[in-house]
Amino acid sequence: MDTAVHLDGITKRFPGVVANDDVDLAVERGTVHALLGENGAGKTTLMNVLYGLYEPTSGRVLVDGAERRFDSPRDAIDAGIGMIHQHFMLVDPMTVTENITLGNEPTKWGGLAVDRAAARDAVVDLSERYGFDVDPDARIEDVSVGEQQRVEILKALYRGADVLILDEPTAVLTPQEVEELFEVLEELTAQGKTIIFITHKLGEAMRAADEITVLRDGRNVGTVEADGTNREDLAELMVGREVLLDVDRPPAETGDVVAAASNLAVEDDRGVRVVDDVSFDVREGEVFGIAGVDGNGQSELIEALTGLTSPEAGRIEFLGEDITGSSRRQRIESGMAYIPQDRQERGLVMNFDLVENALLGSQHSPELGPNGRIDWPATRDHAESIIEEYDVRPPNPDSTSESLSGGNQQKFIVGREFSREPELVVAAHPTRGVDVGSIEFIHERLLELRKEGVAIVLISSKLEEVQGLSDRLAVMYEGEFIDVVDPAGTTEEELGLLMAGERPDEDAPDQAGQSAAHTESTDAPNGGEHA
Amino acid sequence: MRVPDRIQTVLERLVGASATERILISTAALVLSILVGAVLVLVAGRMTTCTASEAVYYFGTGFCYDPVVVFDRLFLGALGDPFSGGWSPDGQFSVTLRETTLLLFTGLSVALAFRAGIFNIGTQGQMVVGGMATALLVLWASSLVSGVVGTFLLVPFGVLVGAVFGGLYGAIPGLLKAYADANEVITTIMLNFIATGITLYLVSGAFKDPNSAANQTVPLPDYAQFPTVLFGGRQDFSLVALAFGVVAVGALYYLLEHTAFGYDVRTSGIQPDAAEYGGVDAARTIVASLTLSGALGGVAGAMYVMMILGSFQSGVPSYGFDGITVSILAGNNPLGVGFAALLFGVLKSGTTVVQFATDVPPQLVGVLRGLIILFVAMPEFFRLVGKRVTDTGSKVVATDGGTPGGEADE
Amino acid sequence: MSEASEETEPASETEFLERYSMRVMTAGVTVAAVLALLVGGWLFPDTIVGTFADVISSENTLSAALRLSVPIAFAALGGIFSEKSGVINIGLEGLLIISAFTAIYVTEVTGGVWIGFGGGVLASTLLALLFAIVTIEFRADQIIAGLAVWLIALGLAPFASQVIYGGPNTPTVPTPGAISVPVLADIPFFGALFSASPSVYLLFVAVGLSWYVFERTTFGRWVRASGENPKALDTAGVSVARVRYAAVLLSGVLAGMGGSALSLDLGQFTGNGPTMVNGKGFIAIVAYLFGNYNPIGAFLSTMLFAGLDAMQTVLQLQGIGIPRQLIRITPFVVVIIVLALVGRTRIPEAAGEHYESGEE
Repeated sequence: MDTAVHLDGITKRFPGVVANDDVDLAVERGTVHALLGENGAGKTTLMNVLYGLYEPTSGRVLVDGAERRFDSPRDAIDAGIGMIHQHFMLVDPMTVTENITLGNEPTKWGGLAVDRAAARDAVVDLSERYGFDVDPDARIEDVSVGEQQRVEILKALYRGADVLILDEPTAVLTPQEVEELFEVLEELTAQGKTIIFITHKLGEAMRAADEITVLRDGRNVGTVEADGTNREDLAELMVGREVLLDVDRPPAETGDVVAAASNLAVEDDRGVRVVDDVSFDVREGEVFGIAGVDGNGQSELIEALTGLTSPEAGRIEFLGEDITGSSRRQRIESGMAYIPQDRQERGLVMNFDLVENALLGSQHSPELGPNGRIDWPATRDHAESIIEEYDVRPPNPDSTSESLSGGNQQKFIVGREFSREPELVVAAHPTRGVDVGSIEFIHERLLELRKEGVAIVLISSKLEEVQGLSDRLAVMYEGEFIDVVDPAGTTEEELGLLMAGERPDEDAPDQAGQSAAHTESTDAPNGGEHA
Repeated sequence: MRVPDRIQTVLERLVGASATERILISTAALVLSILVGAVLVLVAGRMTTCTASEAVYYFGTGFCYDPVVVFDRLFLGALGDPFSGGWSPDGQFSVTLRETTLLLFTGLSVALAFRAGIFNIGTQGQMVVGGMATALLVLWASSLVSGVVGTFLLVPFGVLVGAVFGGLYGAIPGLLKAYADANEVITTIMLNFIATGITLYLVSGAFKDPNSAANQTVPLPDYAQFPTVLFGGRQDFSLVALAFGVVAVGALYYLLEHTAFGYDVRTSGIQPDAAEYGGVDAARTIVASLTLSGALGGVAGAMYVMMILGSFQSGVPSYGFDGITVSILAGNNPLGVGFAALLFGVLKSGTTVVQFATDVPPQLVGVLRGLIILFVAMPEFFRLVGKRVTDTGSKVVATDGGTPGGEADE
Repeated sequence: MSEASEETEPASETEFLERYSMRVMTAGVTVAAVLALLVGGWLFPDTIVGTFADVISSENTLSAALRLSVPIAFAALGGIFSEKSGVINIGLEGLLIISAFTAIYVTEVTGGVWIGFGGGVLASTLLALLFAIVTIEFRADQIIAGLAVWLIALGLAPFASQVIYGGPNTPTVPTPGAISVPVLADIPFFGALFSASPSVYLLFVAVGLSWYVFERTTFGRWVRASGENPKALDTAGVSVARVRYAAVLLSGVLAGMGGSALSLDLGQFTGNGPTMVNGKGFIAIVAYLFGNYNPIGAFLSTMLFAGLDAMQTVLQLQGIGIPRQLIRITPFVVVIIVLALVGRTRIPEAAGEHYESGEE
């Protein structure tokens, strides 16, 4: 057995936290090895140790059988290790070639100038050798996410990487792009490269990896052959108990329409239309779900709905009134609660304590801010009741929201928004980063509100969440609702096809799906203009 | 759940320390600036010439300037020499309070904008505009009333005029930032130059006092100026104005901490995206805070005209820039502004004492101002130094509250 | 980034226009206004328009504009390096002040104009080093630290002048003479380009070199990456701190050349009020914002501002009835208008943010 990388007894401590606890990992050359685990299981930390970003508290790193000590990524790169981070390390206004060669530019005239022709040739050679489809002269900001990822991979290869670490590479990709990525990985291993692939998605690990190592709470809880295992076993390894994903949901008793959007269009900062001609309504006691791969316009749609951006065209109604032009504050005051997708940017003021954060959105309400004067004692009571009811830990209203863990931050926001006695709740990824117990609790509360006749708009990147909670489910693709389905009568595979942009009413679905995705990927270099 | 709990307690200790830490850092910055200033005085003393008898000797070397004397004059002189007998409130001490009064307003002006996340460097210009407007409108109104009644009517009127015109001038960069995305740092600096230019034009032309060689307006009658209470008035200081300043400190504190508007301002100042989410109208808050900030600057101008000069003259001293220092030193906290303004009142008033008592150029205080800002801007430096100093006891710090690693291992 | 790379991509032409529309418009309006004035002046030579036309087309105006743009353009080039690397340097004004004084002082002591020039550059570089240490090492807020640099220099230069010369203004020193290129200097109007102070030629070289560094050298790329996505640079194995130090020091060198040229061309440093620098460092910031961080663009917009300034000087001499104090504020008003029109300049993504290597 030819081991490319061997991590031996790696322990990494941060103040107060053990992120990796005596982890062993051996990766065979020329294979794809998946590192599987839930968020916070210590996968990324472990790989950052291998990449020289962190120094392990104890343990050894062996590359090609020799013990190595990496003080910085530079050392790891020199040892033939490359890492493709979840957030791409690319400079947006620079070209593909400039990004790939950054830090290792070929020069001429004794170093006085970058040899741009040589750099371009090197990039073209590399992408031809591995069959990559990239435009060396395009700017990063103008190419698709899938292409950006290929640029990241090329960047590592350009630096002579033999071992490639990919951190959650599929999170931002369409299913079609995911397939393309897996083909790329196959090509790379065929040419002798070794791939370590971090993921929390079971299916992808099974599909792409030769071997799978599962991490839980910073520990290696098992390494298995991909062929010799199944989803149930892996899921149990990941979470440590049997997973119950089914939500007990009584049938909906819907009432009047609470909110409605018609022919809504939203443009982003660059004037690209990211939501196009979307219409829907949501009724009392109904959960309206919106599914889709991240970045297909869901965020912009709900920001328009909640009053954080103004739509380019179309009309929004709430409780029978046209609120298209009304402000965020008016919408809050008329009974719209919103759990934002970015809790640290939007949902909480990180430097404020929980009392001050309990006030966010209610500072002008008659209960907490009568006559423009803030009733701090009442606000404190409010904060304490949220903390108690939603089990926010530590239960101290004077701690800053910054000091809370992500899950507790989320619980506080959910508690604050649910306690507004809203007519409509817009919830974006309400359980992101929350522990399993709290997920169940938040789901229960959501369904309670639904029972009380509150209308709910839910977006989530977790398919099982939107599918399990929604009464009606819209699938969004490239800014449009591609279909609205009954989630109970639709399989995960069917939803996957819809999310990939395959229209349900085409005669030859396979053909259509192929061509749509194909157009998308070949046009990508110039995507900025025609959009 | 124990791990986050633990992080929490650690962080809490840090946060709890932050107020104390800020005071410590401000003090350290001040001390360090004075030390650097002392070195500067010594170096300058080597570069100039004086007779051997005038020189002082440190480390066996002669210097023409003595930093001890300089700082003695700067601080004790500013307080009217309280330890040498014969102290009178009407001496240099009232000059100090006079300067403090103006710095309270310019400091609050900068602090309010800062809390809204806006860097108002234009307090100087807002003060100039407010002062000019006060001088002209009060002069016009003073022909309508007179005597004690006049004072009761004209002084509040003058302050109001200063606030309105300063506020309007502050609204310009506010509108430019809110609706044209123009960087307020640059627009306010430009508006300072413009304010100086326009007032110079007016005061050297249409509104020039024909009986004066200087570029100034016709002096206001005495009854149109701040009345002197308790203090003799020899130093153009009015306790009424100072009291007004103290009230402003309290009012701004209340506004920021106990009103919905203050909450909007603070939220958009530290996290604009969250403020927007919480229903705060970003553009309106920017315009409102800069207008209010400008109004405070304008009041400083009104005070300058109605308490100190009695007219408007070109070449207004840099109270606005000092306000930036005051605010930064105070951590942009209104209550802190009270103390910082007093400190800078001492520095400014002491400057003239230094000028009389020594040959050291008065621009020294300008350098100190810059140094203080520089040092306050780098808390990390003091934290590092602090860590070095306490490093001998580092083991104690690490084990304080239990061994984090060992427990979390379980 | 460069105009050149824009041209190689015809497909992005519309995007280019969108991105730069305000700039294009402002530039267009300026050119149109100048042309209108020239034509109007030719038609009605005795009116105020005629006076304007005379002033614009005068060789003196061009040569004054060049002279006035030297300190601004140098500072703007410095500002570009610093800000592109991710460090917003609003202390350029202070760097100009300190170098303007030091250049005169050293010249006066040594008698050598070029030694003085070097002294000014050194002083500015040292102050920039202080700024770099404070912002890069000690994570100071860049805006506040930049302000401190300005205020320190604003106090220190007159302080030193007072100590050494007993007043805020220095005595005069000999100025470097103008260099005339034979034949070319005799071309009408444009001859001003070839009969100028050495600092003007130095500026031309600096503009060209800066452009070259950004577009053609590895260092230029690292500076851009450091300001746009420092983490990308860090993970590529290049030290972000080192690149930023180099860029900020370079801004000190360039601003120092501007400040030294400013005072040496006049032979004196005047330190009253806002000193002889009088806001040039801040106008430099607007100039490079308007020039979209392109050295050549920054130079051209500097010429626009300096041209206005030159015109106001010439107009004052001609006494056309507009009060002196009001003409003097026109450049500041123009800066605000320009800023309001091109408010949405895309600043480097990571500008103003501290970067800690290894931060996750």
